[in-house]
Amino acid sequence: MAAYKRQFYPGTTSPAKARRRYMDPKVKLKNLRDVSMDDVVRIMGHRNPGEDYRSIHPPIEEGKEPECPIRKLVAPIEGAKHGDRVRYIQFTDSVYFAPISPYQRAWMYLSRYRGVDTGTLSGRQIIEMRERDLEVLAKEMIDNETFDPALTGIRGATVHGHACRLDEHGLMFDGWQRYIWDDDKKEVIYVKDQVAIPLDRKISVGKPASMNDLKKRTTIFRADGVDMRDDKEVTKYGIRIHYMRTLGGYQPFNVKDM
Amino acid sequence: MAAAKKDQKLFMEACKKKFKEEPTDMETKYYCYGGWKQSKSKVEFQKSADAIAKKRGFPMMNEDIGVPLGQRSWMPYQLSHTDIYVEADDLHCVNNCAIQQAWDDIRRTVLVGLDSPHQTIEKRLGKEVTPETISAYLETVNHTMPGGAVVQEHMAECNPALVADSYVKVFSGDDDLIDEIDKRFVIDINKLFPADQAAQLKKAIGKTLMQAVRVPTIVGRLMDGGTVSRHAAMQISMAFISSYKLAAGEAAIADFAYSAKHQSINMGTMMPARRVRGPNEPGGIPFGHLCDMVQSDRVYPDDPARGVLETVALGAAVYDQVYLGGYMSGGVGFTQYATAAYTDNILEDYVYHSVDLIKDKYGGFCGMKPDNMEQLMKLGDEVNSYALEMYERYPAVMETHFGGSQRATVSAATTGIAGAMATGVADCGLNCWYLSMLQHKERTGRLGFYGYDLQDQCGSANSFSYRSDEGLPMEVRGPNYPNYAMNVGHLSGYAGIPKAAHAARGDAFVANPFIRVAFADPSLVFDFANVTKEIGRGGLREFVPAGERSAVIKG
Repeated sequence: MAAYKRQFYPGTTSPAKARRRYMDPKVKLKNLRDVSMDDVVRIMGHRNPGEDYRSIHPPIEEGKEPECPIRKLVAPIEGAKHGDRVRYIQFTDSVYFAPISPYQRAWMYLSRYRGVDTGTLSGRQIIEMRERDLEVLAKEMIDNETFDPALTGIRGATVHGHACRLDEHGLMFDGWQRYIWDDDKKEVIYVKDQVAIPLDRKISVGKPASMNDLKKRTTIFRADGVDMRDDKEVTKYGIRIHYMRTLGGYQPFNVKDM
Repeated sequence: MAAAKKDQKLFMEACKKKFKEEPTDMETKYYCYGGWKQSKSKVEFQKSADAIAKKRGFPMMNEDIGVPLGQRSWMPYQLSHTDIYVEADDLHCVNNCAIQQAWDDIRRTVLVGLDSPHQTIEKRLGKEVTPETISAYLETVNHTMPGGAVVQEHMAECNPALVADSYVKVFSGDDDLIDEIDKRFVIDINKLFPADQAAQLKKAIGKTLMQAVRVPTIVGRLMDGGTVSRHAAMQISMAFISSYKLAAGEAAIADFAYSAKHQSINMGTMMPARRVRGPNEPGGIPFGHLCDMVQSDRVYPDDPARGVLETVALGAAVYDQVYLGGYMSGGVGFTQYATAAYTDNILEDYVYHSVDLIKDKYGGFCGMKPDNMEQLMKLGDEVNSYALEMYERYPAVMETHFGGSQRATVSAATTGIAGAMATGVADCGLNCWYLSMLQHKERTGRLGFYGYDLQDQCGSANSFSYRSDEGLPMEVRGPNYPNYAMNVGHLSGYAGIPKAAHAARGDAFVANPFIRVAFADPSLVFDFANVTKEIGRGGLREFVPAGERSAVIKG
């Protein structure tokens, strides 16, 4: 029997392809900006740049771990080795053609990273991880193509806005105005951290992409973009899941491949 | 409301009232509206809180604490299929006395049959029961039920002004018997229901003579839901003793109390202690019971969709706002979330569109065979796609339902209602609900919140399952069904599904004909034929509830 080859996601349309790309750990995502690690740390607000990581337990090597086959099997990530706290970064993704949406984030994180705990809601997606590993992930996610300065928000609390109309500069609504439009540079500037504490310095996350570009890159199916029903394979896949689950709970003896 | 025309969206009026931009515009302005001061309600609240803080000497509510409110244009909310607009604050169940009364009227209702006590009186006690004695008993019980004394001479009684809403009426499928009873105490099925519905109800009820007992609202609030049948049992027993001249200490009297407590119909079933509430509380109301409380399809029999939408509205208010809004949340509750299902004519638009679609393409109501899964999924796909597309084509609608859970509920409710109406089977509707949820997630890459998504992503498998802890006919599911126990925001839509199936079939009731008739009673404080209108009146502060204590407060 041939080894199973992961397909990641069905479909032929651009949102389906984007979903596959984001999930496939072999695909290197494009970096569109370079926000410094210190600035990423500032926006997250869990520690000051240069400050030591706080720990919740001694380094694993110093402690006495109980005899456990799973511990032998799973190599700890760096933060776990050092006993780091688990901290978070949370992104809000606009419905208006944000590059990625919450479920795709969860699928992407779980497909690409170890040691993550994700939570998915309609507008936002939180990822929790040991702090030093989180910072590496956070920088990747802010720098790469899944982030758009106008349509992706970094928000710890008061996260709504994903379904609100865009402002006159094309920015997603944020009740705390953590980011603002710099009209001179045509860039988006963070002025508050994730939980809306003012930053000591303004942090640019760069220029938003054009709506035309975003429509080509997004993972979101929309009637005014690519309609899911125009992707026959994705539609069939959804119907199949529903049908098989229905039959499985009702007449499992009649379940046959569809 | 007329069926949705293809070129005229029912939500347009509300969208235009909410936003100055065109409903199709994707852009607007923010942070320039003056914050919370653009809201009349918030201004009133702040003034009131300031006065309270001054009086008590320490701070109270302060609209300037926390996130700046009012960064967006402050949206009013239209109560669906009415011309009433209110603010979101007006729909919070703590602020809206109509919502409170809807729940009060449900909780304080207990249905107690008279057949068993009459057999005891005739066969065991050797006394005759006639229409005249029944009328005399009803006059007596309408004295005792509000808290009047009949047996001991030196008793404290309840102040009538506090318990004015308490009474007992009877109904039966036996027209001959009903004709003989004092009309003041009768819920007249023939007068209140269209002829075809009356015939169905009378056939289902048969010769049973049923009492619709309304204990005082204040009793339900002061004690609890489980107390209602106890209050009724004592006062019914006293009325029997007095009107039939029975011995107060005789063992046979216990039969009256027993039948009133244990052979009666409470509105809510028992709940596990971990669900916070006791017996006869909102989490125990099966969907079928809630459907039968709603009376729109009695008053507007040619508009079955309206009855369905009103059921959704009542479910949102009672299940999602009053019950889960307290049990799972408290404080701000689930107002914003739950009211999406009964405001701004968005669900209305989707449901009336579905009705048109069913009539045009799917053989009309009950025209689809319930075992035709392929057709069912095709309809579900079409309805759900329409609902989701409206959010995408009309950013004003998207922003109105700015929480994904709101959109998920409303889209799934529409799809479920459509499946139920097309087949006449509630479980088919439920299956469509879950199709909607899976498609919604797949299409948009988002759905509701963690707990919400959990139930919805496994629900396809239990939509037809009849294994005890996995499946039940939709009519007898409710918030007590294991997977729905913390399914906030869903319960309104779920409740609409069995109503849709039975409304499409032309059924006079969904689960219980007695409940159906009891809530047709015009003496109820809340009008269950006009749910959104009543809630709107509550929001406008025009609704007058029962059980107020002003009669015993000086000043």
